[in-house]
Formats: sequence, C-alpha cells, structure tokens
Amino acid sequence: MSTTAEHAGGIAGHIHPEPQGFIRRYVFSIDHKIIGIQYLITGFVFLVLAGLLAEIIRTQLLHANGGFVSNDVYNEVYSIHGSAMVWLVVIPIVTGAFGNIIMPLQIGARDVAFPWLNMLSFWIFPVAGLMLFSSFLMGAPVAGWTEYPPMSLLGGPGTSMWAAAIFLVGVSSTLTGINFVVTMFQMRAPGMTFTRMPLFCWAQLATAPLLMIATTALAAALAALFMERQFGVPFFDPTKGGSPIMWQHMFWFYSHPAVYIMVLPMFGAISEIIPTFARKPIFGYKMIAFSSMAIALAGFMVWAHHMFTSGLAPYLQLPFMILTFTIAIPTGVKFFSWVATLWGGKIHYTSSMMFALAFVALFTFGGLTGVFLAAVPFDLHVHGTYWIVGHFHYVLVGGSLTGIFASTYFWFPKFAGRMLNETLGKIHFWLFFIGVNMTFLPQHWLGSLGMPRRVPEYDPQFQTWNDVSSIGSYIMTLGILVFFVNVLVSMRNGKKAPPNPWGARTLEWQIPSPPHYYNFKHIPTVFGLPYDFSQPLPYKGLEEELTDSPVHAGAH
Amino acid sequence: MVENRAPATTLGRGFWIATTVIALLALAAIVFWSYTSLRIVMPPVAAQPGGEIDVLFRFMAATASAIMIVVAGYLIYFMIAFRARKTDPPDAIGVQIHDNHKLELWWTIIPTLLVVILSVWSVKVWYAIQIAQPTNGLVVESIGHQWYFTFRYPQIHGEITGEMHLPVNQPVVMNVTSADVIHSFWVPQFRLKADMVPGLINTIRFTPTKVGRYPIVCTEFCGTNHGLMSGNMPTWQGKPNPGAQYLVVDTPADFEKWYHGWQVKNAHASDAIATVSTGTISLAGGDAKAGQALFAQKCSACHAIAPFSQRVVGPGLKGLLDDPQHPNLVDGDKATPANIATILQNGYKGDIGQMPNQAANNLSDKDIANLVAYLSSLK
Repeated sequence: MSTTAEHAGGIAGHIHPEPQGFIRRYVFSIDHKIIGIQYLITGFVFLVLAGLLAEIIRTQLLHANGGFVSNDVYNEVYSIHGSAMVWLVVIPIVTGAFGNIIMPLQIGARDVAFPWLNMLSFWIFPVAGLMLFSSFLMGAPVAGWTEYPPMSLLGGPGTSMWAAAIFLVGVSSTLTGINFVVTMFQMRAPGMTFTRMPLFCWAQLATAPLLMIATTALAAALAALFMERQFGVPFFDPTKGGSPIMWQHMFWFYSHPAVYIMVLPMFGAISEIIPTFARKPIFGYKMIAFSSMAIALAGFMVWAHHMFTSGLAPYLQLPFMILTFTIAIPTGVKFFSWVATLWGGKIHYTSSMMFALAFVALFTFGGLTGVFLAAVPFDLHVHGTYWIVGHFHYVLVGGSLTGIFASTYFWFPKFAGRMLNETLGKIHFWLFFIGVNMTFLPQHWLGSLGMPRRVPEYDPQFQTWNDVSSIGSYIMTLGILVFFVNVLVSMRNGKKAPPNPWGARTLEWQIPSPPHYYNFKHIPTVFGLPYDFSQPLPYKGLEEELTDSPVHAGAH
Repeated sequence: MVENRAPATTLGRGFWIATTVIALLALAAIVFWSYTSLRIVMPPVAAQPGGEIDVLFRFMAATASAIMIVVAGYLIYFMIAFRARKTDPPDAIGVQIHDNHKLELWWTIIPTLLVVILSVWSVKVWYAIQIAQPTNGLVVESIGHQWYFTFRYPQIHGEITGEMHLPVNQPVVMNVTSADVIHSFWVPQFRLKADMVPGLINTIRFTPTKVGRYPIVCTEFCGTNHGLMSGNMPTWQGKPNPGAQYLVVDTPADFEKWYHGWQVKNAHASDAIATVSTGTISLAGGDAKAGQALFAQKCSACHAIAPFSQRVVGPGLKGLLDDPQHPNLVDGDKATPANIATILQNGYKGDIGQMPNQAANNLSDKDIANLVAYLSSLK
C-alpha cells in the first residue's frame, strides 16, 4: 500500500500506534487535536476569570465615586484583566487552540512537525496562567497590562511574578510559532501548494513569524524588568541612569505585532466561515492571502504610534504615523472581499455565520477608530483616555473574541463530535452583539470629552454613559454565560455531528467527526483550491476515510 | 451539481436602490460631521493649534462614517437579498465568482487615495503643532508629582502649587517633567498632551485663545490616586480634592496681578527642587499649626486623622505616639517623634504600602519639623 502520496506526508507520513491510558491520551498527549482542545478549555477557564475581573471594573465605574473596591484593588484588577485577556485568553485560543486543532487537518498532515515540543508549549501555558493569577496573593501589578516603569518598579512583589509569568507564556508562543512554520513548510499534503492552502492556514502562516520574532523582544524587556526589580540592575529607573522610554519601545515592539497575532488567525477563520455559509468561493483568494502577509510585515514597523506623547523626536512621529495609515489599505481589501463574497450567495444564518458577519462590522468600526489614533494630531488629544479603551475593545472583543465564538460554533462539531445548540447560539449572539456595542461605543466620546483611562473614580458628568457601558457589559456577560451553558450541555447531550454538517470543502470536513488519532488513513492528494462549490472536491485518496476499512498501526 | 448553481445575478433594481440609500446615508454623515457642533464629542477648543486638530477630526469622522456606512450598508443589503430561502433546494449554491480584478483595483486605489489625503493633511497639522509654533513664547514648566502638579515660572522663585495661570493670546512654551513616576499633562480644551517622564523634558507649544478656567487631567497611570489628578473632580467623597488643578487663562492685566502676587509671596522661596536631606532633621521649633495646614495640603489625600486601622491609602495617624494597639510605628520602629521624621524624610516601602520621600512630597526640613509637631500633638 505504499504510495508516494503517503510518504510525502513527511515525518508523520506513517501512522504511529495510538497511546493507551488516560494520562498519555488526554493529559500529556502529543496529539495536536487533544493539545488544541486543552488550549481551548484552559483559555476559556481564563476567559471566565478575566471576565469576572472585567465585571469588577464595570461595577466600580457604575458610580462616579467608585467605592465597589478600593483604588489599589481596582488597579490590580484591571492590570490582571488586561494581561490575562491578551496572554491567557486570546493569543492561546487563536493560535494554540484553533491553530493546533485545525491547521494540520487543513493541510492534510497527521500531526504538527514537533509533537513533543507542542506538548511542552501547552503545559507551560496553564503554569504561567496560575503564576499570573497567584500574583494577587502577593500584591498584584497595578500599572496595567503595559506595566510602564517607574510605576512597575514600585508595584507590589506580584509585579515580578507577573513578569515571570508573561515571560513563560512568551516561551510557549515562540515554540508554537516555530512548530507551525515548520509544519506548514514541510508537511503539506502532496499537491497542496501555497496557493491552494486554505486561508485559515495562510493566516496562521502570517502569524507564526510574529510569534517567533516579536515575542523575543518582549522576553528581553520582561527579563530586564525582573532583574531590575529583584537584583537592582538599573535598566529603567531614571534616578540610576536607566530609561523608562526604553521599556516602552521594547514593549510595543512586541505588543503592536501582538495585536495582529490576536486578530490575523481570526481573519483566517472568517475567510473559511463566510464562503461556507454563503455557498460561494471566497472573493479574491490571493488578495486575502497576501494581505495577511502585508499586514504582518507592516505590523512590525509601527510600534511607536503608541508613544506619540512619550517624547519622541517630532520628525520620528511621521514615518510611524504614515506607515500606520497604510495598514488600513490591506485590511480594507480583506473586508471588502468578505462583503463581496456575500453577493449572489445563498446565505445560511447559523450561529457561526452570524458571529462571522458581526466580526466584519465590529472590526471595521474598531479599525476605523484606530486610524483616528494613528494621526499624531488627534492622538495628542485622546491618548491615554477612554477613546483608546473603546477602540481596542472593538478590535479585541468585537474582533478577536467574536471570531473565537464564530470559530467555536463552526469547528466544535469537528473536534467534539457533537453539534452545539443553535437556539442557544442565537440567544448568545444577540446578547453579545448588543452588549458589545453598548459597552464600548460610549467609551469613545467619554474619552474625547475628557475621561482618562485607568481611573477608579471620575467626573460625575460622565456617569450616565458609564452606566450604559456597565449595563452593556452585564448583557455581554449574560451572553457569554449562555455560550458556556451551551457548550457544557451540548458536549454530553448535543446531536451527534456528521463528518461535514456545514457542507464545507476544506480537508478537515472530509474525515470523521471527531477525526481519528491519525487524522487520515491515507494522506490525500490535492488538485485545487477548496472553495469551488460548483466543482467536485479537489482531493484524491479520501475514499476510505469514512468507511470502516482497517488501519494498520505502523503501516505505511 | 451545475444545475444547483444560483442564477447569474446581475446588478438589478434592488442593488441600485440599496446603493442610492447607502450613498445618501454616507452623504448625510459627511454633512453631519462637517457642520455639527463638536461639543457632542469634545469640549470647546480654547487654544491654537487645537482648532486645526478639530478640523482634521471633522475630516476623519466624515470619511470614517462614510466608509462604515458603505461596508455595513452593503453587508446588511447582501444579508437580506442573498439569504437562502426555504424554497431553495438544500444543496443550492451561490453564483460562482472568484474575483473581479477591476473591482479589486478600485477598492485598493480609493483607500490609497484617502490614505494619501489623510497623510498630507495630518502632516500639515502635525507641522502646525510640532514645528510652526513660536519658540520665543512665555516659558512655563510643570512638574508631575504623586498626585498633583507644580509649576515654575521665570522670575518667580520656587514652585507654585494649586492653579496655573497663563495670559490669553500669548504664545507659551511649556516644558514638562516628573519628580517621581510618569504622569501626563492634558488640558482637553487645548487638545494637547505631553507625558511627564522622570529624567526627560518634553515640550509643547501653544497659544491660549479664550479666557477661562480649564481642568488639568493626568492621563498616565501614576499610582493609587491617579483618578484624583483631574480638574474635573473638585471634590471627592465630600472633601476638597487637592489633585483637582486648573489652568486659568487670564486677561493680560489679571495675569500680571497674579504673577506679581506670586513674585512677592515666593520672594524668599528656594529655586532648588526639594531633595532628601542627609543626616537627622532637627525637630526644634516645630509649629503644630503650620503642620496642620501642611497636612491638609500634602498628606490628607492618603491619611486620615483617625485611628491607625482607618486607612485611606495609608493608615490613620491619630494618636501615633500613644496608641496601645500600635506601640510601634512600622517595622518595629518605636513610636517617637524622631522616627516619624525619618519616615517623612526617607519615605516608606513595606508590607503596608508605600509613601513618597521628602523630595517627592516637596517638603523642606522645616516642613517636616512642623508636621512632626502637629502629629505628636494629636491625642
């Protein structure tokens, strides 16, 4: 049965026997699908915790005088909320969870290139997460997720724990990045050229170098902060000859690309979901694929737009401003292409599709308010105000988190083998969509009218809109609660998922739900793009996947 | 499968009606942002070049609203027009179009043009803010502290607390820095902001154009009472807020009067920024009454005159010397006037929190003696 097609699968070309025993199968697993599910569950647990912190923030801000928690506790709460949402929820879910579960299946591989490294990446993540939350026990960091020195040098002992925890998640993402790049370069099924690769994989391919390169700058900054706090090495303290601005450069050299780490994979997911439910090829495949690359590349050259008020030399502001404007062009191309994909379609409104369409609208809004901030003159007015908070929550909650929900409704049947409940899904959608807009829209004008961010009490004239925002956040939370009920109920009692419930055309839908340990009995051969609904599927060698034909472990 | 292909869709009547509606809405948005009072989103502008920032904002808001309406408008129209209907066969598919190079070219060219216009316009306003402002204006300095601002003027000795005054229509060169952590100096009505970074001097140049009293707001997180460093919060929890400071723009005559007042008042003040004294501070001749006034100004943001356990930020300071429940101050230090002075001098950092030192609080040795006299007098 030896064919070139199977050998071409590379390292995972032949089938290893499935490990036995609960621990080897579900705890220290080297199966990319199990690791991905572990990432997803851990990420959702941290979403619950970080979400509760968000509700403490919004409850405090119900009243102009605050008073729900003390100022110091409030500062700890929003710092951990931001850090956890970025590093423990969004980044692990969009790369570690969906990247791991879906990407190898979509390129026709049996696993990622380095399964043991993958297991290591995952297990670093919950440990780092526990470290981050444990910082509450010893005086958590107070200076926000950005932890600018000298404030972060004065923060409680938990700030060092924060630095160590974020350093560790950084190691985890760097390893994931390496693993994904090698997998996509080496393990695509025969015939799966780069220009036939599904757009979700393209998005992961654009993200992986960001994980590998940008994260190292953050690691250096965190190591320096840790050394300064614990051993007095003066990197950032100006009274000892350090430079607080240096931290800002190093931090944003990572954290601006991190914005794209958080959203590019979801751009990819949306590019799979919209054509599937519109029953149409994606509009402008190549433009969407290349625009991911263009965004990733340009994302490296704009970090100082976070520092327009920090005291950059004025002329230095110009290239950062103009380069940031230009990112709007490839991003616009993607959004126009998605809207155009709907034209002439047969649109099916599943929960997944509704979240995907909401993503298009909400991210467009968040992207446009970002262009305002890129313009130095207007940024001088709204920098450090609630406008910023409104803007980045539109792209992170309206973008990344909405994308995560769209992806979960889409791929849950594949990896869990059960369908999610559609009625609960729609209730979740409407609560969430209304909640997001109510929470974050008023924050824009609150900011430009004069409300600074990171304050536990504020000018009483801003109370009405803050109340609207807080009530919106409760509605949003209620929606997320419905989602978790849906997942927990459907996991046990949901309808059994057929191999391809949505009529999708990428490879993962041509094999059983959930897939076998070895993914494919025979590595398929690929003949074209997966998006032509009028054509037969462009794959060969999948005939036995849905049959009971035996698979010989170790056989080629 | 070919027989399931949706009929080739041409741009029919529905499309043109939708396009007309979207175009009208986008036009309405552009007209709205061109003529609306910006009061709905920003306080009225009171300085140049703030006005130019407002014009740029109108352009960006108009363009962004139009783009949002176009994207959301077609999204909603397509969602309705191309929904799968109950009468469709279950395997019906959409019209199979892969791309349209002409369309893609257009939606790359139009945003590129908009980006070029926006870039040119932004650079022009940037030039007005960063380069074109007069460099020979009145030089003023502001220093950020936890949690208040101080100001320095030429020919006034020492630092000024409370309100900052500027004459109307006179160019200003404002240098900002910080004595402790990073703060940010923002006057929303001026549309200008500069971070106050310790060890670095940042400069903003502007001309106040309207007489008035404008709040100064700190927009960089600077510790426990960051939220109180705002002129928008004159009182907090019923008490006057020492962090509520204002920038007052006066007529030249009023400014002259205010300026002269401080010249006289601070005639003997030291120009040196307070530093931490070396050695032991003499407590002789401490004036409890002066200490009380100073306490209200410098300490009451964090400490109450109440038993030790009643914390605001730091502990309550009533009866420090003879509190049976707290025979020691902190870390085992005996409750003596000298030890209180040491904490005021060097600050404190430990398990119950942290307190800035003498320099950060801008206290002279005499101030410390007065404060110790006041605190020792409380029973």
